[in-house]
Order: sequence, then C-alpha cells, then structure tokens
Amino acid sequence: MDNVTDSLLDTYLFETNSLLERLDELLIEAEQNKDFTEDEVNEIFRSMHTIKGSSAMLEFNSLMEIAHHIEDLFFYIRENGMSTLDSEDKNELFNLMFKSVDRLREEIEKVENNEPLSTNIDSFIEEINNFLSKISGQGGGSSDSESGAKAGAAAPGMPDAPWCIRIFFEEGCGMENLRAFMLVTTLQESGYDFIYSPTGVENDSGTTQEIIDNGFYLGFKDEDQAKKAVVIVAGSNNIHSYELIENNSPQESDKEERRESASVAPEKSAPAKPQAPRPAGTPQSSSHHAPVKQNLISVNLSKLDSLMALVGEIVITESMVTSSPDLKGLKLDNFMKSARQLRKLTDDLQDISMSLRMVSVSGVFQKMNRIVRDMRKTLNKDVKLTLVGEDTELDKSIVDSISDPIMHIVRNSMDHGIEETVDERIAAGKDPQGEIVLSAVHTGNEVIISIQDDGVGVDTDKVLEKAKRNNFLTKPEEEYTKKDILALLMEPGFSTNTEVTEYSGRGVGMDVVRKNIENIGGVVSMTSEKGQGSCTTLKIPLTLAIVDGMEISVGNSIFTVPISNIRQSFKVPAEDVIYDASGNEIIRVMDEFYPIIRLHNLYGIYDDVCTNIEDGILMWVEENERSYCLFVDSLLGEQQVVVKPLPPYLNNFGIKDYGISGCTILGDGNISIILNISAIYSAVVRS
Amino acid sequence: MSNEKEGLTAQEILEIEEMGNAAAEDGSTKEFLTFVSDGLTYGVPTEHVIEIITNHTIRPLPLVPDYVQGIINLRGQIIPIIDIRLRLGKPFIEYSSTTCIIILDIGSDRVGVCVDSVSQVLPLDLSESSPVPLEDRQHLATSMISVEDGKVVLLLNCSAITES
Repeated sequence: MDNVTDSLLDTYLFETNSLLERLDELLIEAEQNKDFTEDEVNEIFRSMHTIKGSSAMLEFNSLMEIAHHIEDLFFYIRENGMSTLDSEDKNELFNLMFKSVDRLREEIEKVENNEPLSTNIDSFIEEINNFLSKISGQGGGSSDSESGAKAGAAAPGMPDAPWCIRIFFEEGCGMENLRAFMLVTTLQESGYDFIYSPTGVENDSGTTQEIIDNGFYLGFKDEDQAKKAVVIVAGSNNIHSYELIENNSPQESDKEERRESASVAPEKSAPAKPQAPRPAGTPQSSSHHAPVKQNLISVNLSKLDSLMALVGEIVITESMVTSSPDLKGLKLDNFMKSARQLRKLTDDLQDISMSLRMVSVSGVFQKMNRIVRDMRKTLNKDVKLTLVGEDTELDKSIVDSISDPIMHIVRNSMDHGIEETVDERIAAGKDPQGEIVLSAVHTGNEVIISIQDDGVGVDTDKVLEKAKRNNFLTKPEEEYTKKDILALLMEPGFSTNTEVTEYSGRGVGMDVVRKNIENIGGVVSMTSEKGQGSCTTLKIPLTLAIVDGMEISVGNSIFTVPISNIRQSFKVPAEDVIYDASGNEIIRVMDEFYPIIRLHNLYGIYDDVCTNIEDGILMWVEENERSYCLFVDSLLGEQQVVVKPLPPYLNNFGIKDYGISGCTILGDGNISIILNISAIYSAVVRS
Repeated sequence: MSNEKEGLTAQEILEIEEMGNAAAEDGSTKEFLTFVSDGLTYGVPTEHVIEIITNHTIRPLPLVPDYVQGIINLRGQIIPIIDIRLRLGKPFIEYSSTTCIIILDIGSDRVGVCVDSVSQVLPLDLSESSPVPLEDRQHLATSMISVEDGKVVLLLNCSAITES
C-alpha cells in the first residue's frame, strides 16, 4: 500500500475508532436516562454519516452498509422524535445500537489486522430494517415514511439547503475536485454564503468520482442568492451543465435525484455515498459535546517516540558538553552561565516531551462501563460501576496495555464477585445494588489502579481446598497465610469457578493479568474479606521511558538499579554475615533474614572487583515481594536515565532472564546496564 | 594497516564504495568490502555496510558468548559488537590501532563486526565464485573467489553472523 493510502487509512482508523468510542459513551449515558436527547440523535446520525462516507471512500463496504442503515434509522428518529417510541422499542433500540457499534468495531478490527471484511451482513442489516419498519409502522406513517426516510438519508450528496445548484463538469476534463474547489473559492470571494457537497474537494481526490457521478452541489439559503450564483457558475470554465433545484421537499427531489444519477451513471447500480456536508445548524447544537477536542491534534505515536529519543540524546549530549574533561581547571564564567541556561532549557524540554505521551485513563475506564452494562444484562445482576480518578494520566503505551487486565478483573468481579441474586445481598445486609469501584490514584512515580467490589469476597478455604485437589500447594497446608492463598489465584491454570461462563472462568485469567502487568513493570496484589468483597490493586509505573536510577559499579562495569526498588544501602562488618548449610550468605536486616546476592559472581566479573564484603556495599532491594541484598562495589550516584531496549540480537542469549533488562547512556557517553531486580532473584533461585 | 598503505581512511573507503555502487550494477558483479581477520581476507556485500568506525569504547556484557564483545553507543544507538575472530573460532588478539568495527545492517538487526583491519572495496563477479571445498564449521563463509593478485576472498554470509 502506498504512503498516501496508508496515512489515509491511519486517519480513517483513528477517526472511526474515536467516533465509535464516543458512541459507546453516548449510548451508555442515554441508556441510563432511558432516552436519546435530540442532540444525541443528531450526533449518532452525524457519526454514522461520517463513518459511512469515509468507509465508502476506502471501499470498506460492510462498514459502509451498516453505518448507512443505522443512519437511515436515525434519520427517521430525527424526523419523528424519540417520543414516538414506547419504552420497549427504546430498549430494543439501545440493544440494537450496542450491537451495531460492536459490529462496526469488529469490522474495524479486521481492517486494522488487514483481514478481509465480512461479506455476510445481510441478516444484520435485515435486523436494523425490521426495527425501522416496526417503529415507522407505529409512528403512524405507512411504508411511505420508511422509504422516504431511506431515500432522504441515502440522497446522493444533496446538501441540506432550500436551493441547490447541481453542476456537472465537462466529461474528461480531469481534476473535477479541484475545479469544484476553484468554483467554491470564486463564489466565496464574491461573498456568497453557501454550503457545498461533496466536502473536502480541495485535498481529497477521492471526491472526483463522486462529482463525476452525482454532480457537484452548491446549497443556498434563498432563491435570490442561488440565482445570482448561477450566473457566476455559467460563466466558469469546463462546466458541462448545471441546474437550479428547489429543495423544499427533500424526499421528493431526492428520489428524482436518484433516478437522474442512475441515468447519468448507469453502470453504477447504487449511487456512491458522498460525504455530504453536515446538516446546517447541528454544529451549534452539538458544540457542548466536544469542546475539549478543539484544542487537540492527533500525532503519530512513532513521531513522539522519535522525539523522546531525540530529547533523551540532547539531555545526554548536554551533560557530555558541560562536563567535558577538557573544561577541567578552566575558569569560564560566561560559559558556565550559558551552560546553566542550557541545562534548564533541556530539563524543560524533557518534561514537556514526556508529558506529550501522557494520556488519561478515562478511555480505558469508559470501556468498563460498557462491559458492566452488558454483563448486567446477561448475568441479571444489578451492579453499578463507579469511576474515580478517570483523569489520571499515564504513558500512552502503558494505558494501552492495562486495558485488557482491567477488563478481566472487572469481569471477574461481575461474574464471581457480586452475589448471584438480590436476595443474597439483602440477606447479607447489603445494598441490593452491587457496586464496583474502579479508581486510579497518582502517587509519586506510580499510578495505583484498584478494582473493588462489594460482593461475596474470596472464600480462602475453598481456594485452598481446590489448590490441594489440583496439586498447586508447594508447602504444608497450614503454612498458607491469607496473602499466600490469594496469590494462588494468580497461578497459571487456577480458577475457583467450577463452571465455565461466557465471561470468565476458563482458568487463564489472573495469571495472564499478572504477566501483562509485570511486563510493563507493574505489580498486582489482591485483598479480600469473605462476605465483604475483594479488591485488586495494580501498581503501575508512570512511564517506561525514564527511570530514576542509582548508578552502581562492579569491577569496571556500571549498572543502574531503579531507585524504586532500593530500600536501603549499608556497609556490614564481616561477622554480621551468616551462612546457611550450603554456604550461601545471609544478612539480618530489621529482624528479618535476607539472602545476599553477589552481582560479580552472578555476572562472572573478576577484574578489579571487590570480593571482601567489608570493602563493598550491600544494597537491600525489593521488587514483586522478592527482597534480598545485592552486593556491589560502590554507589556512584543517583541519576534520571532514559531507558533504551537492548538490541534484539542479544535476546538470543537469554540475558533478560538474568536481570539485564535494558541499558542507558550516561552523561559521559558510556553505557550502563539497567538491572531487573526480580529477574536477578529468579536467576539465582534457578541456578 | 592495509588501508593506510593505500592511503585510505574508513570514510574514504565508504565514499569510493558509494561511487562504486552507482557505477557497477550490471549482471552478477557486486561490490564487496574486504577486510582481514587472522590472515584471511573476507568480503561483505557493501549493501549491508552502514559505516566503519574505529576506537570505540565497548561496554562488555556479562553472560553472553565470548564472541559478543559487548555493546557500543553509536550516536545514541545501542549496537552489539561481534568479534569475527572469536565468532569463527580463532584466537583473540588485543585490539590495535588498525582494528575496525564494521557496522552491518542485517535484516532487522544492526550489529558491529570487529575485524583486524579493513582493506578496500572490490567489485567481484559472483559467477566466478566457487563454493568453499571444506565448509567451515560456522557456515559463515560459503563461497570464495580469487582476485587479480592471486589473493582469495572468502565471501561472508551476513545473515549467518547473527544466527546462533
């Protein structure tokens, strides 16, 4: 695929996805109010119109068809008002809309994954049509109104204006879209107020075909203006024909239009669906929906990534220049002054470029609304979802990867957490309506996301019994603490629900959640009180790109340990070290015993290295509840470092399993290796 | 240093190579950058060569085979360095002033190859190449070709370098 189509496709996917997301939110909101407001109907209509138009342009027919039929449906609703629908119809409408959005999203996913789109959408279209005919039958109108609505919505690009000029350019004159645009410009310069269709003629060559097939429309508010404009149109070049259409009864004339366009382009069985302009007046009415979006632009993530990389380089280069050994011993007042200025600016630059990648978790949280809504229906449980701290910001790539884990936990809570029946809840003295609280809190350099339900909680005895049955236990039953038992739930292949349901219970759940969260450097923990509900907490780092690190040295090598993993650093006298039966070193810190791991032994570093425990330093580190002391030569200092992945070639050697998770470039241009504290522990345990 | 004898710096070699690339595109003739390692001359297709660098500090890595000398910071890019002597099972010698690192682009990987010295860029006619009679155990050089002055160039299979 060439670049143009690629970027077009990117834009299309972005636009359609955000429209669908917005639709989902809107539907949830509307369902709660059990009604669509006029604005909402308009918004759905417009969204569908946009999706229809852009899908047609990229020839995604199934998407276009679905959007087209929903648009028909909402055209009818818009004309007749929601009041004509009784509550049962409304319910059906909501379900139909949720289904449609899902259907559209499925298709979009196929587009994203470069899979062929489904061709068999007839039954679904049928469903929409049936609903439309049902409500239009009730609405007092005959089948006329249905076909009228259809024709109106499917009109080939006629703008919503009382007076239209329809223009055909000379056959084969080429670049019809630009000619149309020139015409538009000429008219605008002459001070006419009008709308035109198809829109986007100045930069979208895809409109050319539409103009050839259906003509180019100019819509005017009054006859006078339209007639004057005709004179200008008539005087322009390359115009083959033009006509002035009075658009007072849009349905009638639309039908005529269809016949005409069919005769103009007989080879096209159905008229192309151009992107007609938004109906006049609606932008104002919907303006309160998306005022925040007006200040936003969308940027390709890879551009942000390269910006980040570049800024990282600048920060490093800046310190390479200002701490250059050539400057040693020189007294350079002006230079130092400028250098300080430069440092301040680069710091600001770094902060800003970091913040560019931060997005709020609200998108992910909103998705959960939908899941709770769907499950509420299927499981027949009355549950409300409360969102707290939706505007908490996280790095974009992290937000993307926490969506699935959160979804899984919410499903778990709905399925296993909340009591099966209202009676059970009342018997337990709880509010009949269950509650799931999804919250995000920002603390220092991490974000804590918790999913709490007020359901039955985890029955630890049952879990333990099941673990015993399935041979999950690794130590005597009596030694299991509550925390241990809850941790069992996150073991691969463990699920307490004996019955597999649509939503969860396949036993591939929590371990995958834990793995996904650990992949992005986070930690999952669970607490639960039997009868009072349970809470799953995800601790997530703010960003993957920059880490506060402690530089340490072992021999001639420099390593970086993330500050968040360090609990304490201290020197010990040799006599404090205790040995176990196999000669492993152990140290006692704050009345607890911890193993000592000598980094030089693990990594086989023998040159210029401290081997005497009194010469080096012990660093008490902790990650994922694995706590131990790391023996290193010396601490070099604290530094914010930009994490760089290791070259893929090195993955062949499995060094990631030995705690070498990435690297960073230090101020002097040297490379430091970033250590993964929990992987080091696992490596030592393995060996 | 052989390229010094010919009055060439690494930069100049690359420039010549670029000119060569533009000139010779006919038939089976391909441009090869030749280098010396343990007395043998090897050739790599210039289309894989990004640049040649000298005097770079290599950050050693623990727990990797000895032929992976470590990683370098090449203007912000982290590039692994493979010592071709050790990769071919030859003894290691201390790096000297003639030691060069050839940065190669192999598929998705970018690696640096440490060689004793870089010689020159030669246009070689691949149809004249013959398979190495006794395939060396690493399958790194699968064919050889003789050039004017009786020398033999072993053609290096780039993608085999990063395969373990």
